[in-house]
Amino acid sequence: MKKRVLKGLLYITLTVVGLITVLPFIWMILSSFKSNEEISALHQTLLPQQFTLENYTSLQANFNFLRYFGNSVLIAIIVTVLVVYISCICGFVLSKYEFKGKNLIFGFVMMTMMIPWSVTIISRYTMFMKAGLQDTYLSLILPVMVSGFGIFMMEQDISSIPNELLEAARIDGASEFRIFHQIILPMSKNSISAIAIFQFLWVWEDYLWPYLMIDSEKKQLLAVGLTMFNGRYSTDYGGLFAATVISILPVIIVYVIFQKRFVAGVSAGSVKG
Amino acid sequence: MWRKMIAMCMTLSMLLTLTGCGNSKTASYKGVTDSQPDKGLEIMGDRVTYDPNHLVNDGKPVELEWWLWDAADLFGSIAREYEKIHPNVTIHIVNNPWDGFWTKLPLALQKGESGPTLFNVHNSYQHLLLTYMEPYDIDVNDLEADFFTAKSHEIDGKIYYCDFGIMTGTIYYNKDMWTKAGLTEKDIPKTWDEFREIAKNLTIFEGDEMVQAGFNYNGDFENLMQGVPYQYGNTIFDETGTIPSLTQDGQKKTAQMMLDFYEKDHVGDKDFGTDAAQSFGQGQSAMVYKWGHFYGYLKTNYPDINYGTFEIPTVDGKPFAYDRYNGEATPGINKNARPEQVEVAQDFIRFYLANQEKQKELCMNYSLFPANNALREDKDLQSNPAIQAVSEHIDRYIWPGAMPATLGDNLKIACQDMMYNGTSIEEALKTAEDIVKVDLSNQEFVASENLYDKYSERK
Amino acid sequence: MLRKRKPLQSKSEVILRNIVLTFLVVYMIIFLIIPVMIAFVGSFHIWNPLNGTYKWTGLDNYIRMFQYPTFWLSMKNTVIFCAVVVFFRIVLGLALAYGITSKLIKHKTFFRTIFYMPTVTPLVAVAYVWKIMYNPQFGLINNLFGFDINWLYSSKFALPAVMLMTIWKDFGYAVILFMSGLLSIPSDYYEASNIDGANAWQTFRYITLPLLKPTMVFVVITSLISYLQAYVPVMVMTKGGPGTSTFLSSYLVYDQAFVKYNFGYASAIAFFILIFTAILTVFSFRLTGDSTSKKKKVRS
Repeated sequence: MKKRVLKGLLYITLTVVGLITVLPFIWMILSSFKSNEEISALHQTLLPQQFTLENYTSLQANFNFLRYFGNSVLIAIIVTVLVVYISCICGFVLSKYEFKGKNLIFGFVMMTMMIPWSVTIISRYTMFMKAGLQDTYLSLILPVMVSGFGIFMMEQDISSIPNELLEAARIDGASEFRIFHQIILPMSKNSISAIAIFQFLWVWEDYLWPYLMIDSEKKQLLAVGLTMFNGRYSTDYGGLFAATVISILPVIIVYVIFQKRFVAGVSAGSVKG
Repeated sequence: MWRKMIAMCMTLSMLLTLTGCGNSKTASYKGVTDSQPDKGLEIMGDRVTYDPNHLVNDGKPVELEWWLWDAADLFGSIAREYEKIHPNVTIHIVNNPWDGFWTKLPLALQKGESGPTLFNVHNSYQHLLLTYMEPYDIDVNDLEADFFTAKSHEIDGKIYYCDFGIMTGTIYYNKDMWTKAGLTEKDIPKTWDEFREIAKNLTIFEGDEMVQAGFNYNGDFENLMQGVPYQYGNTIFDETGTIPSLTQDGQKKTAQMMLDFYEKDHVGDKDFGTDAAQSFGQGQSAMVYKWGHFYGYLKTNYPDINYGTFEIPTVDGKPFAYDRYNGEATPGINKNARPEQVEVAQDFIRFYLANQEKQKELCMNYSLFPANNALREDKDLQSNPAIQAVSEHIDRYIWPGAMPATLGDNLKIACQDMMYNGTSIEEALKTAEDIVKVDLSNQEFVASENLYDKYSERK
Repeated sequence: MLRKRKPLQSKSEVILRNIVLTFLVVYMIIFLIIPVMIAFVGSFHIWNPLNGTYKWTGLDNYIRMFQYPTFWLSMKNTVIFCAVVVFFRIVLGLALAYGITSKLIKHKTFFRTIFYMPTVTPLVAVAYVWKIMYNPQFGLINNLFGFDINWLYSSKFALPAVMLMTIWKDFGYAVILFMSGLLSIPSDYYEASNIDGANAWQTFRYITLPLLKPTMVFVVITSLISYLQAYVPVMVMTKGGPGTSTFLSSYLVYDQAFVKYNFGYASAIAFFILIFTAILTVFSFRLTGDSTSKKKKVRS
């Protein structure tokens, strides 16, 4: 009996917290189908009174939405793959090899997480300009290719892989590259998915850097296009909601697809490590 | 599974990119040569004139970029009109988001030739842009004869940009509420005291709860604080235009008056809607103080509101200046662009400034009082309520200068402190003044207040 | 033990190590050290790279920083913000993780997925949505709960409102971490405590909590690092207002750099925050007994 009450209470608590968690999403999605007037009306209803798709159609009217979307997906995927690979290999070397100055390098890796971007962005910009990299995708990929967070996480995760496993492979004559690709990488699948989703998210939402670097309209990213809704004098609420839904959905989809691995990975990087 | 996912994503993105490519035209630029100087077109303009019957860049093809943050179609139409006269010129309009524009533009101008040749300017960012700008190749006297605000943009006898129109504050009132309260056009207040009584009239309470505000200035306090003190004869800066003061009588009295509206007279409330514009649109506030762009805002967001405008009330009917104004600027020219680009840009600017028709369209679009004297009496412009309310005394409005952001930002903080955090007027304004002074001491800023015609009347 | 393993150092190991180290060092120099040095030198100048101003002022920026009341206020706000958000992240995360991992709950994946959703959404977008949710007239929060609070324009509620949004956004991260921490505790520990007659609280206090310490450390450190740099919620929701009541130190850096274009001054503040973060991080590692290195030794 006591157990049943407890169970009921637990379920209720979790459900309530769950509801609070999803409510903003539901509200946002429903509001994106409302007209501006309805969004700011004094008498609010959860469901749109007059269902409209205008907020979404105006997205496409304002800029080449599909094109930007494609660019963003492309860049996000390239960066994510690179970051994952680099984080893994750096994590492998930093966790499994012994050498002088390891702590120093690790300290610098941690520092990349602590430097506010507003301080380095201008000097970075100048460097990229001098290198003639403006308006290229390389300029969007290079500065985020190495992620302190990713290396930190992989270092933690890979160090939990037993050394015996590696030794056995070495005795079998496997080169370190093979060990990395055939043992380490497959065994870190979970952390990889965790880093992947975070990285995807960061690239996806980054705004100022792509705006500064990319000049031609054809190469521009989605996050930049979406800020068109924040005008100088007023905000177009409906457009903002629609834009937000569009910018959230892809990440949610990626998350739901990978969520099992991803969740396991977030924990692998911190706990077992 | 993992590998499949990646493969799938890759294919998807490839597909998207490909379809994207399919959509866009990749027409490369093919220059047209112009060989006919005399096209038999009329000369435009009054003092600043433009004679279309000549060749630019000897008729050889030339391309340039024009950066803006808004109204790409409208500005684009000026470029198209120019291209029609000079088919060898191609002007690419590049529309940028406002967020980050003032970081991107100066950085792009540092690239010299590869930066934009023409760019729209906002005077509050003048300090970032001036080093990259080429002065207009137009006689300053001609400019000042045609454009009544041009004088205030003169720097060492040169003009780098000027205004095509100016914007300032007016009171917008809800006509339905006005009638319901038994008021007529005759009741339009001239002084703040009269205004207060009207506002009281227009405020409706249901029990203890306010349901209609007589006057709502939520979000506009700092704008009022930058304008109304002029009515008392206080300027923000001293004669040298370098030392700011935010703690003069006029400023304190203005702040007190505004706070009293809410706290003593209860004609509005700081928590009654966070944004006066919205509240007015929702039909909850009877009067708001707004700048010209509010006309466009209402038109797009709340087309059903039946409203009118009147000029900002004054303290005693004889103000030093009614309010401050700000200009919307003509484009700047990148001095490091290629010579032929600069030549075309200079020619284009002359065309722009002599083109009264287009300036009128721009003013209509933004509800601006035209800076071009020829458009002053224009009937269409006068029919816009935002313009009409200010036209009578337009010469009694003052431009403080290309004010750096710190002044407005710190006044905003001071206003919020007074309104929401209960800081005393004295203390809030003093804090703002101290910070502004330090910030400005690191910049070479000189205010333009002393260029105001009636500057000598200042107290 | 790792340290005792005689470095085998096969040829391929040396090659791999050298490639990776060279890459890392070169990358760090180009993308970390050089920009940071430029910014450090810049912090002694009146510096506006946008119009080319660059004038030596010595320590002026630092002096100005310490004299600027908003700076101290923002530091205070940052400390409050970090403390409260990290606290709730841990308490909420732990409590919910405890609930979900309980044998009584069947739909573990479902709840986990839901709770984690806010964490994987772009912060800027979410902050905009919450800003509208806080609107006193048509916002969801006042309408739903019947409050009459002008959330973002009240000196009392503005900072808590920003913190609430941040907690909502991030608590799922802690839930996931604590969940796997809890699941990795071998069940014989619990059986043993059962035999000893410990009650639920004692089991939690003396078995679960100590075993969760590494997770706790990880959550605290990563949270601190990221919250000390948080400025987006403030930028979107309040712009530091009303007045200066929601200024966070990183928002101050952003505001000085990209609104007022005082890059030298902004760099000075940023260096102060950097040192503060580094000290806090080292301190948290120390305080918790340098758990990572200990763990590593145990494992290897």
